[in-house]
Amino acid sequence: MNILKVTPEIQVSQRPIAIECRSVWKFFGNSGPAAIEAAKSGTRDKDQLLKEFGCVVAVADASFEVFQGETFCIMGLSGSGKSTLIRHFNRLIEPSVGEVIVRGVDVCKMDDKSLRDLRSKHMGMVFQNVALLPYRTVLENVALPLEVQELSKAQRLETSRKALETVGLGNWMDRYPGELSGGMQQRVGIARALAADPEILLMDEPFSALDPLIRRQLQIEFKQLSTQLNKTSIFITHDLEEAIRIGDRIAIMKEGRIIQIGTPEDIVLHPADDYVADFVEGISRLHLVKAHSLISASRVVNASSATAPTAQLNDDLQTLIDLSLKHNADEILIMDRGQAVGTITREDLLKAVRGIDCN
Amino acid sequence: MSDFTDSFDSNINDALMWVSDNANTVFDAIRATLDAVFKSVNWLFAIPPYWAVIGIVLVAGWFLIGRTFAIVAAVGLWLCFMMGLWSETMSTLTLVLSSTLIALIIAIPAGIFVGLTSGLLKASDVILDFIQTMPAYIYLLPGIALLGYGPTTAMCATTLVAIPPALRLTAHGIKMTPNQFRELGQAVGMKPSRVVFSILIPFAFPSIMAGINQSLMLAFGMVVIAGIVGSGGLGQSVYDAVRTLQIDQAINAGIAIVVLSIVLDRFSQRLGNVRLGGRHG
Repeated sequence: MNILKVTPEIQVSQRPIAIECRSVWKFFGNSGPAAIEAAKSGTRDKDQLLKEFGCVVAVADASFEVFQGETFCIMGLSGSGKSTLIRHFNRLIEPSVGEVIVRGVDVCKMDDKSLRDLRSKHMGMVFQNVALLPYRTVLENVALPLEVQELSKAQRLETSRKALETVGLGNWMDRYPGELSGGMQQRVGIARALAADPEILLMDEPFSALDPLIRRQLQIEFKQLSTQLNKTSIFITHDLEEAIRIGDRIAIMKEGRIIQIGTPEDIVLHPADDYVADFVEGISRLHLVKAHSLISASRVVNASSATAPTAQLNDDLQTLIDLSLKHNADEILIMDRGQAVGTITREDLLKAVRGIDCN
Repeated sequence: MSDFTDSFDSNINDALMWVSDNANTVFDAIRATLDAVFKSVNWLFAIPPYWAVIGIVLVAGWFLIGRTFAIVAAVGLWLCFMMGLWSETMSTLTLVLSSTLIALIIAIPAGIFVGLTSGLLKASDVILDFIQTMPAYIYLLPGIALLGYGPTTAMCATTLVAIPPALRLTAHGIKMTPNQFRELGQAVGMKPSRVVFSILIPFAFPSIMAGINQSLMLAFGMVVIAGIVGSGGLGQSVYDAVRTLQIDQAINAGIAIVVLSIVLDRFSQRLGNVRLGGRHG
């Protein structure tokens, strides 16, 4: 199934910014000025900092923007700081240094009431261990974020019921969480996050505890839902394939530091360093490589190409290979708005599969 | 060393005298409150005729616990009546329930507070250990000095003894709520007080119920000892019988005590099995 993927390079930079991180650092343990100075100067590594200052750097100089409506994945191994970072956005954790701007306001400068408003109306969070209250029914669990708002009980339950329908669990509303499977519980978790119709979703490794088949299914469902409802999502995962499947852009974190930010194509085709290159080695390029990155502009479009099959600039590698096999063609002509802009040979296709740069 | 112990002892004596002399109003108030609670609970149990009470226990026991228990309880209570100890049995029951009620009113809110305040839990555990390890009848003596003989003193000491289990279990129940649920409450935009009432207390519910159960049983144990201070009821019956070496009376009272303790224990255990909605996941 082809998951709808917008080409973010063109459209995203024109969208307004929903969330911004500016030089965010988070220290645990000793966070005195000396430790901060040492960490910032970069003269000491993680172990030295711990030994000398008793200071653990969880997040180091995180700066990025998340545009409205996009799904921004933060991917890293355990201990990379991603779970710590995501908790900055609803101020469950406060940064030691730096600013976190959500909807134009620095969350650390918000008073308690504004913060509670932000959390209940504008942000929804989904947790790795779901955290459904076991002594409430599914419907009552979904209604939890609504209890903080001035709504009657009937309104709360009705809204929650609709949210449950969205995730396909309308028939389970009077059951208790213990009666649901792991995948269904997490769907309830998603319904709960969506209940108050927040603009922003914070997803903390929501599918990591589920088995692979359910995980895939939920990834697809989540992608459809968040696109359909135009939500801005920050999605934490340790699974690069999941990030590629779901994310419009991905940030790779290592030991608290963000190493690379880019579209799935950027990350896979142009890894920033060996660490990232290691990660992407096993990733299939069939859906990520597009025709526009393969055409050699210097290759002249000549008469013999006229009989070649055509494809569009945006067609992915899999489509091109299928086309080449179907027509048994050595060359494919690439069109852009009716004009021929270049050709791709079979050799180009083979190189693309192997990850060898064509240009 | 003995000088130190002597001055320690005389200091305590002096302190007690001072309190007794100067805090009359306070103790009068305490006595009055305890009296009032005692009388209201007493009204529930001593006023109805014996067969009404036995009937209620039979029906409640039948539906809440089981047929065998209901029959044994009814027979046991009827035996109390036949031995001429009905009013003493009801009096003891009143003492236990009213003391536990007051103890819970103090212990549960205090337990919630201690459970929420991180530093307090360890300190409170130490204090509660101390209170629970001291031999129970020691608590009767200041009671006599300050409140005199009678059921009020018994109630006071019983209340004191009944506080630690409920307090401790409530505090630990609150503390033991998994962290993810506290995070959930915050992430959803709840005020801290709301997190306590909507999330933490329901989670602590089984623990609180267990605390109530323990408090009831400890209170019962204390009430029997409190016969020494003229508490009335079965405690006094046993004490008087032992003092005057009337073995038959002592055995009668003993049987009544056993019956009452079984009834109390089973009912309060049943309370401990109450779950807030559905299965605990």
